[in-house]
Amino acid sequence: MTATPQLPWRTRAAIFVRFLAIQGSWNYETLVGNGIGFTIEPALRLLPGGIGGSAYRAALARQSQYFNAHPYMASFAVGALARAELEGVDPGKIERFRTALCGPLGATGDRLVWAAWLPLSVLCGILAFGIGAGAGRSVLAFLVTYNVGHLALRFWGLKVGYAEGLHVAKALGHPVFRVGPQWLARAGSLLAGLAIPLAIARGLGPVDPMVLGGLLVTAGLGGLGLARLHGRFEVWKWSLGVLSLVALAAMVRA
Amino acid sequence: MGLELYRIDDRLIHGQVVVGWGQPLDVQFIVLVDDEVASSDWEQELYRMGVPPEMDVHFDSVDDAVMHLAKYQDDSRAGILLTGDIDTMVRLVTASGRVPTVNLGGIHHRPGRTQRLRYLFLSRDEEEQLKALATAGAEVTAQDVPAARALTLNEVLSGEGNR
Amino acid sequence: MTPADIGVVAIIGGVLGLDVVSFPQAMLSRPIVACTVTAGFMGAGFQGLLLGVIVEAFALETLPVGASRYPEWGSSSAVGGALVATSASVTDGGMLMAVIATLATAWVGGWSMVQVRRLNAYWAGQRHDAVADGNRQVVTALQVAGMSADLVRGMLMTAAGLIIFSPLYALAMTRWSLDSSLTRWLLIAIAGTTAAGAVYTVFHTTAQTRWYFVAGLLAALVMLVVR
Repeated sequence: MTATPQLPWRTRAAIFVRFLAIQGSWNYETLVGNGIGFTIEPALRLLPGGIGGSAYRAALARQSQYFNAHPYMASFAVGALARAELEGVDPGKIERFRTALCGPLGATGDRLVWAAWLPLSVLCGILAFGIGAGAGRSVLAFLVTYNVGHLALRFWGLKVGYAEGLHVAKALGHPVFRVGPQWLARAGSLLAGLAIPLAIARGLGPVDPMVLGGLLVTAGLGGLGLARLHGRFEVWKWSLGVLSLVALAAMVRA
Repeated sequence: MGLELYRIDDRLIHGQVVVGWGQPLDVQFIVLVDDEVASSDWEQELYRMGVPPEMDVHFDSVDDAVMHLAKYQDDSRAGILLTGDIDTMVRLVTASGRVPTVNLGGIHHRPGRTQRLRYLFLSRDEEEQLKALATAGAEVTAQDVPAARALTLNEVLSGEGNR
Repeated sequence: MTPADIGVVAIIGGVLGLDVVSFPQAMLSRPIVACTVTAGFMGAGFQGLLLGVIVEAFALETLPVGASRYPEWGSSSAVGGALVATSASVTDGGMLMAVIATLATAWVGGWSMVQVRRLNAYWAGQRHDAVADGNRQVVTALQVAGMSADLVRGMLMTAAGLIIFSPLYALAMTRWSLDSSLTRWLLIAIAGTTAAGAVYTVFHTTAQTRWYFVAGLLAALVMLVVR
């Protein structure tokens, strides 16, 4: 093992920009593997021999193999793997560590981002619409909320990943990951209770309160019923079918 | 309740398992069967980080899983059993004789494997192992997430599902 | 729509489609953004927002978990957003048809993403030896090629969606026999039900969430009564 070099800010900036394209060549064979190689590459230039040197080429080849993780959480892997490579950790150990990181980074990111932060941010946008915001403000309510979390997570991932190296698992024990999804789920539920009825009311426009009430009850009971199907049923596809039949009937009869 | 899914997935604990299946099935425990992980503290620590704190994870070797299987199946909560490869599942099915279904959730590309589904790559030997699992009485289907249609082993091996 | 209009919207749709997975995944492709931005570009942002909120209700059900296949909301939302911006106001029949156009294009768009991923796998397989040799030009080229293919895919999806659905949308705007209020009620009821089911599924495993939902619901009802 060699001493850990500092990552120059230019290298960090280059890696950060590349993060945004990490899934550019996503495929069913190596998944995000090539993206990891592409993203970590600026750090590998610091290896002895520089670009094109034997250490650089071996490391780039290693890092471009199969990898699977949540795209934002991959920043933790890239930081940790960059440090391991620059410290000259045994390649066998790096590969085993790399393999073991896939599942946990995927599960953590899916829980925190796709199943909590994203729906919560969407509900912020829907709430903005529900309380009367126009196009710009509704879009910004969603985009700003979502991307503050998104960019912070990528930035933090690179920082902590590089700081912790092979001990990056410690970072996954952070309360943001352990209890964050639960608190976001509670906040999301509160927002859902608030935003969905208000958005429905605004979408429906001025109507008899009984019409609005009937729709809210229908949506509530219908939603509960759909949830009982345990996700074995893609509602949006069936909705498309029903809406198409309605459209056909409405246009043929005209 | 008890074990709702017996899944082969080389990513072990990841998003499709914890969120994709875990949320709609209300899964409260996972049994990860893998001889290497069962003897590796740092890997267990890593995998534990991927699940919500309220979800239990049991790390069992194949021998331990055979011993504890009845207990997991009788659990009042919903659970998922995971293996990272076909070989481990074959050993579990053969030794326990009480695995009713096997879900193929993700076996990815490696030299020598042919693509059967977008998330399933199999070598000739692995295909024979899956046929043996079916002969041993386990219903083998491929399904990555709950909303996808479960494909039978015949559909998988004939390449029908890879469209 | 003129061919020039279709060309401009296809570029917007390509960029929004690229955002879904390849670059920069900042959720510009979510319907609430993509429908609104596309329609806004054509001078009808609020109509786009109405469509975006309705489609978002369906998109909430399809979170991109794991490597599973999911609908592509970026280019499809550009199609829907452009349709509702073609006239100064949208009838309820027109809005329903725009939702159909967006959902259908998203479905096919999801399939088209799978094809791009297969193409990426083919390209990666062809250059396996160079990658295994640590060739940085090849690693970078694969990344750029994948993003370019995805951009083109999104543009083609948008153009195809517009060509297919523009006449249907025009027809729905002029020939619609169903009562306008009933059309709107049906559309919002289906969207609201889908959204309610989706948020229940995604949040219910956390303890106490139902009480938080009830608290939000009560607050909403109070706001609706006193307004």
